[in-house]
Amino acid sequence: MSMIKSRKTRFGDFIVAFLCFLLILVCLLPMLNVLARSLSSSEALIKNKVWLWPVGLNFEAYKMVLSDSKYTWSLVWTAILTVVGTCLSLFMTTICAYPLTYDNLKGRRLFNTIIIFTMYFNAGTIPMYLLLKDLNMLNKPVVLVVPYCLSVFNMIIMRSFFYNIPDSLRESAELDGAGPVRILVSIYLPMSTPVIATLALFYAVGRWNGFSDALMFVKEKKYYPIQLLLYNIINSMTKIEVATQEGFSPPGLSETLKAATVMFATVPILFVYPWLQKYFITGATLGAIKE
Amino acid sequence: MRRTISILLVCFMLVGLLAGCGSEPASTSPSPDTSAPAESTSAGSAQDAELVDRKFTKTRSITVEVYDRGNDGGTPPDDNFYTNFIKEGMLRDHNVEVTFVPVGRWTEVEEINNLLAAGDAPDICVTYSYPTIQTYANMGGVLDMGPYLREYKDLLPNLYGLLTERNLFWNEDPETGTVWAIEALLFNNARINTFVREDWLKKLNLPEPTTLEEFENMLRAFKNNAQLLLGSEAKQMIPFSISYDIGWRADHLLAAFVPDSMTDKEAYINGFDDRHILYPGIKEGVRVLNKWYNEGLIWQDFNLYGAGDTTEDNLMKAGYVGSFIHNWDYPYRNGEEGIQANLQKLVGPDAAYIAVAPFKNDAGVYRKFLANPIDRKIFFPSTNDEPLASLLYLDWISKLENRRFLQIGEEGVTHEVMPDGAIKTLAVTGEKIMNSPNNIDYTITINGLDLGDPELNAKSLALNYAGVDARYIERAFELSKKDGRIIPQFNVGEIKAEEGMGPALASKRDNFLVQAVCCPPDQFDAVWDAGMQDYLNSGGQAIIDERTAKFAQFYEK
Amino acid sequence: MPKLVQAWLDIKVFSAPGVQNMESKGDTTVKTVSLQSSPGRGYKALAYFKRYWTLYLLLLLPMTYFIIFKYIPMHYILIAFKKYSIVQSVWEMPWAANNGFEYFIKAFNNKDFLNALRNTIMLNFLDLLCGFPAPIILALLLNELPFPRYKRVTQTIAYMPHFLSWIIIAGMAKQLLAPTTGLINNALDALGLGRVEFLNDPTYWVITYIFLGIWQSVGWNTIIYLAAIAGINPELYEAAEMDGAGRFRKMWHITLPGIRPTIVTLLILSLGRILGSEFDRPYALGNHMVNNVSNVISIFVYKYGIQGLQFSLATAVGLFQSVVCVIFLFAANALAKKFGERGVW
Repeated sequence: MSMIKSRKTRFGDFIVAFLCFLLILVCLLPMLNVLARSLSSSEALIKNKVWLWPVGLNFEAYKMVLSDSKYTWSLVWTAILTVVGTCLSLFMTTICAYPLTYDNLKGRRLFNTIIIFTMYFNAGTIPMYLLLKDLNMLNKPVVLVVPYCLSVFNMIIMRSFFYNIPDSLRESAELDGAGPVRILVSIYLPMSTPVIATLALFYAVGRWNGFSDALMFVKEKKYYPIQLLLYNIINSMTKIEVATQEGFSPPGLSETLKAATVMFATVPILFVYPWLQKYFITGATLGAIKE
Repeated sequence: MRRTISILLVCFMLVGLLAGCGSEPASTSPSPDTSAPAESTSAGSAQDAELVDRKFTKTRSITVEVYDRGNDGGTPPDDNFYTNFIKEGMLRDHNVEVTFVPVGRWTEVEEINNLLAAGDAPDICVTYSYPTIQTYANMGGVLDMGPYLREYKDLLPNLYGLLTERNLFWNEDPETGTVWAIEALLFNNARINTFVREDWLKKLNLPEPTTLEEFENMLRAFKNNAQLLLGSEAKQMIPFSISYDIGWRADHLLAAFVPDSMTDKEAYINGFDDRHILYPGIKEGVRVLNKWYNEGLIWQDFNLYGAGDTTEDNLMKAGYVGSFIHNWDYPYRNGEEGIQANLQKLVGPDAAYIAVAPFKNDAGVYRKFLANPIDRKIFFPSTNDEPLASLLYLDWISKLENRRFLQIGEEGVTHEVMPDGAIKTLAVTGEKIMNSPNNIDYTITINGLDLGDPELNAKSLALNYAGVDARYIERAFELSKKDGRIIPQFNVGEIKAEEGMGPALASKRDNFLVQAVCCPPDQFDAVWDAGMQDYLNSGGQAIIDERTAKFAQFYEK
Repeated sequence: MPKLVQAWLDIKVFSAPGVQNMESKGDTTVKTVSLQSSPGRGYKALAYFKRYWTLYLLLLLPMTYFIIFKYIPMHYILIAFKKYSIVQSVWEMPWAANNGFEYFIKAFNNKDFLNALRNTIMLNFLDLLCGFPAPIILALLLNELPFPRYKRVTQTIAYMPHFLSWIIIAGMAKQLLAPTTGLINNALDALGLGRVEFLNDPTYWVITYIFLGIWQSVGWNTIIYLAAIAGINPELYEAAEMDGAGRFRKMWHITLPGIRPTIVTLLILSLGRILGSEFDRPYALGNHMVNNVSNVISIFVYKYGIQGLQFSLATAVGLFQSVVCVIFLFAANALAKKFGERGVW
């Protein structure tokens, strides 16, 4: 963001503002629809009368979800997982990306190849299941944090950002006798707050929204992330083939609850970005001063 | 030079890794003994000798699969009031310790795959799809139950009593005698019904339709009187509702176009598809649907929505739908959240769906195709080393008093006894809640309420639907089974052409059925023929051919 | 920082006598040394390791992670060449016919697979064409917004659609776009424009599919670009302003070049996913009327490989996808390097 304050607001700015307004509409309205649905009565939903505001306002679904300790615990648990997972992921990503920025690192091509290869070749759930079973990690919280902690895509992004930091900084630090780790900690990291914030967001959202690993590898209900809990609810309502096969329909749960679960799972993570946004500015400032 | 070395290093490393250095998971998992059948007969008698009065002298333990539906407010499926009942009973009667292994209902196939691969599969597994079991068996993952069933017949009176040789040996291979899975009993084989709005018929002074023409006229009457029936919401009128699964949702109509003279052999050869799409005459039935669709008598948007979408149900609940074909008791299910209940809430107390039988076939009979009395398949993975104990388990839960208790629970708590002896189920929460209706997840050998007395069964069935007048249920039940035809089973062993083809062919079938219904009338023949050709070319014809050949081999001597 | 850590970080890494200047130019390190020392090969190697050993230490943990969690399970890919048996280990399974290529041949002989292949390439290509520039344009647009609060709000709202699962989005889309009862079609009808079968007609379906894909991901994808823009030196803008540069000139000469490395990296990675196939979007939005365009490889694998329990076939298809993707990645990377950009490799 530009630091210039004394800038007249020009006509072009209003066009930009208008376009952004349209964008807000297009993105916000669907969320409002889901919110409205979660606060409406079943009848209104059945009649398909809910668009942007609740019809037949009632809080039943939220009351039901919040009063059930199963969900509130799962929210807390998922938050813990997210924080721990994100920290671990950021740590791993950084120590992986940084050494690869040294062009004269011997074996750099080898490392690159090994890493990128894993982005494309993977054999699915069964071998992972077998591996985790042998490592005795099944059904333990650690299985929700470690197996997917390092994303190659994110590592490439971080490395790309590190490349942008001028080599001269590194060289002058080396001349001062600083070792690579010191250079990382005192030069690269402070200048990379935008990318660290970005990756923190990516990892956090990935962990918060993810449930397929818990689905296969964890059996204890108390370790279920919130999305998995909600997946079961939504699925038990919508499996018509069950009705055909088994001769009965799953127990009816209201449409309202379905919408409420979406709200429940989405809203907490939405607030992470605004909080992280302040880091997008700091890095630029530092960059300016250093030059 | 450096580059070449790097590349060589990479290749070497990859080869080394692929060659399986280091911790090789496979070495730690037990390699199952695929020659189990030969070994078992001797081991069998050894097990036998340890039984005294059908009770093991030394405690055995087995694991049993149980569905975990993730119900809201449900109890843990492996540890609750009912599992305790089973565990205590098994220990007391047979000295067998039972442990339940919960498997997610919605992810069942993937989880069983994982467990089988790791050698951790439960001793007793249940599934709805026989081809799945056949595939596992071909991989060597299933135990042949045949020898055990024959040898221990005298020890399993309840199992044989409930399932009889018919269900037990339903899947017996005629050449090798292997039995990969036994079939549970489908106690209630009512399948499909045609429903019509009773209140609309009254309002328009129409009699219940008894012929196809009357039904069509009724649909047109609904459409033309939308204003009268729905007032301000007239635009929402849907005379006849259907879904993408046309074979199921127009079953009665389509069945009426099948010649009554179709032989069982014909039915068998064309019977791979469970929506009967290859039966003779179906094309003309679908042509009728095409005509209705183009006249605006069928819900125009039905082709947008896929499996599990609740849009159609909501339209029914809101009162916009005049008629539809569905499961025999569809509008009456789910009590408070059901269609009938919502109709009464949202439309009025006399709004109701009633079952009718309007589609006569060429012999003037309201022919319906009913399912065989089979339901879930029970199989033993090859890691099962307690086949006798497992069979005794199946026997135990097939015993009338045990399964009766599981199905209706405690008197006064989960059910009440009516003056005439019929049973009315009560909804209950807390530790005695049933995670599945009538605990079907535990009574794996039967699907359907059986109290031991046919009259009581019929009466209790009607009482099982909370909030719905019994007369609707009785009528639906009666009409759904009237003039039913069950195609007998022809056991010819494995049909190789069918392997892995189920979901793919089903998808193709749905595709061309939907497109055939929705296209303009003059394109109907082209679309149908093209679709059918594609279906046959993609494996359908191969199945027909193999079935014909095998039928000739076994049943035409 | 604690004194101890400080001391460790301050370890002088050059103890070699007579080193004067160090210059790093690309791949080579030029060391100008005084004539007092005579550096041999072993000496150079020692100095190298003394200088860089910490880097290898840092890489140790990630490499271990990759080997354990990525490479060890990778051996399962071999089942693409074998007759799968769920109870045998990969080494015990027998080889498939035709030198192990039985399942590849089976896939390519299957009309459905070829159809899925065509659809996947077409949809991915369109996604790339329309969906790749969109977040860049949006990031530039947001960057032009001078009201900081407004900008923050817009950013937060723009990325909300990313959090909705495709099942939800598809439900909403059907509600809006249904031919007879959808809101949009009712509006079009009222305006006398006639009804459009957004989701029933194959051509319109593809357009709707791409559009919804962009809608869902554009806000999210701008995050990286905004972060990149944040790293551009603001003094450059001030200088340009003083030179009299207008809004678009600044964008073209400062912003875009500033984020060019990011754009190139993401483009290479996107091209490397050209044959990748997500499952949720086509599955949720697809229906039986448009199946000849909506069936993509992931759905084919789901139907045949997973529901049909043909594991070897599924793995063979996956392997095929991976190999093609890597080829594209390699090509894109080489191309980028030709243009003087730093590649991903």
